[in-house]
Amino acid sequence: MSFVVGVAALALVTALACALPGVFLLLRRDAMTVEAVSHAVLPGIVVGLIVAGSLDSPILILAAALTGLLVVLGAEYLQGTGLLEGDAPLGLVFPALFSIGIILVSQRFSNVHLDEHVVLVGDLNLAAFIHLEVAGVSLGPRYLYVMLAVLLLNVGFIARFYKELKITTFDPTLAELLGFRVRRLHYAFMFLVSVTITAAFYAAGSILTVALMIVPAATAHLVTKRLSHMLAWTVVIAAVGALAGFGVAYALDAATSGAMALMLGLVFSAVFGFQRAQALWQTRGRRREGRADAPVIAPAHDVAREVGTANAVNATEPASHAAR
Amino acid sequence: MDALFGLVSDHTVRTVLLGSTIVGFVSGALGSFAYLRRQSLMGDVVSHAALLGIAAAFIVASLVVGSGHHTLVLLLGAALAGVASILFANLVVRHSRITMDGAMAVALALFFGGGLTLMRVIQTGPFTQRSGLNAYIFGRAAAITRADLLVIALFAAVALVFLLLNWRVFKLYSFDAVLSELVGYRARLVEPLLQVTIVLAVVIGLKVVGLILMVAFVVAPASAARQWTRSLEGMVVLAGAFGALAAVVGTLLSVVAGDVPTGPVIVLVLTAIVAVSLLFAPRRGLVARGLRRRAQRRGSRASSEGLPA
Repeated sequence: MSFVVGVAALALVTALACALPGVFLLLRRDAMTVEAVSHAVLPGIVVGLIVAGSLDSPILILAAALTGLLVVLGAEYLQGTGLLEGDAPLGLVFPALFSIGIILVSQRFSNVHLDEHVVLVGDLNLAAFIHLEVAGVSLGPRYLYVMLAVLLLNVGFIARFYKELKITTFDPTLAELLGFRVRRLHYAFMFLVSVTITAAFYAAGSILTVALMIVPAATAHLVTKRLSHMLAWTVVIAAVGALAGFGVAYALDAATSGAMALMLGLVFSAVFGFQRAQALWQTRGRRREGRADAPVIAPAHDVAREVGTANAVNATEPASHAAR
Repeated sequence: MDALFGLVSDHTVRTVLLGSTIVGFVSGALGSFAYLRRQSLMGDVVSHAALLGIAAAFIVASLVVGSGHHTLVLLLGAALAGVASILFANLVVRHSRITMDGAMAVALALFFGGGLTLMRVIQTGPFTQRSGLNAYIFGRAAAITRADLLVIALFAAVALVFLLLNWRVFKLYSFDAVLSELVGYRARLVEPLLQVTIVLAVVIGLKVVGLILMVAFVVAPASAARQWTRSLEGMVVLAGAFGALAAVVGTLLSVVAGDVPTGPVIVLVLTAIVAVSLLFAPRRGLVARGLRRRAQRRGSRASSEGLPA
């Protein structure tokens, strides 16, 4: 496998591994939780690199991923105190963890080949540098197989727990009543997300995983409401975005992750723009009848109504800490 | 102590300290409104989107004027991109089934990905004076110049005047959007005003704190201040004070420590302030609450002992 093909394959597999759990994250309104987790795994990764020197080991990835879970648990705890409004708990925890990570990075430990630029966009070329060779034949970058394992893990988890994920996503209260272990599944799923983000660090850095995870699912959600169709569309969009991004990055000699985020964002914008144009075209015909979808009042009805009596949030709804 | 005193009397350090104090105060104070709207993470989207604005403004200025590195131009670009990202997210929410958090993530991806790609174009293109641009990503308070200070002061003044002029509207709208609408303040008009204010609060601090961690300035001072006060006036002033305190302490620590970026140090100081506030604030604080519960339990036990069985 040549170097360029290896890098492209790594980009593609990373995008797919991230995009699949993204469908459920988007539907559970956990999109910004991804942003938080992707920042929060940084200290885990840096400490792991200081201890072990490389990210190839699965144990290291699992251990580093635990810091990602810290942000989920920490935000839930803070929300439980009822002292904070809206999405503030999330916004308090992840900058703190990320700051610890950045300060560690700035100390430049001798065996850690990491600088702020890698944190920002990852280093796909570095990840693809060491090739796996069997009997003298190159089988592509070794890290590709780590990422493939993560992709398979995601596929396996979603296939095994499809029914459970579906019901806890769409109706957590019913799921609870039916005896599903909603919280346990939530933590298992968030840990898987954290593992995926950690593994994707080389390819995407810690800022842009949110693009790889959420944007394909969001684009698919523009197209369809059915969960199964959404998963299929997500895979297609992630693949298109990843390869287009890789092409742009290759042409500009830029970071692949940045270009992938841009291309995915543009695909979303194109689909959204097309749908808007279509809707406007259709409503033009019946404009005289008056617009049905005119907004009634501000989108921010419940702004801080409870400032005086900040209340604990319904514990049965794991997805409730996202911005509305 | 002497070393600290020597540091403060140093001219460069004074510029840096003044800059970060202004930034801390203004961002902290205005962050209160993002907090009360329960959309603190919009600050995160705006600050990431700012990179696209900075890069685009740099390129445009380079092509038009010949040199791109004017702080005012860069920050204006950042503000425009920030407003655009908010508009984008709101547009998506209004016209699709995607919820706000998803729309925010998409806006962040689109604008930040675009910004990173443009930064690469700048790096490889025929541009001069591009070296300072990276300061906006992780923050480099030590690199603040007098010119930067002027721009920061200008933005701060505009933001504060904006806030004072719209104080009554913002206050009413933050606490009861429906009543505010009934009284005659159109949400469609108030909302953009409020968002521009929040964008100003974010943009002003980019060079000191860096765009990645700027969200902490929107969330943390307001979260801490909220624990100590029940009035909006008190909250805004206290949040500003906390922001300024964290900025000064953080900047000093990072200057003393040498090659540690300023943003993360300030964020850790802010986190400490929030932790102290959550624990020790009177009435609301976790410690006060714990003591009260204990007293209640003891009281109920005592009274139940007094009752006949």
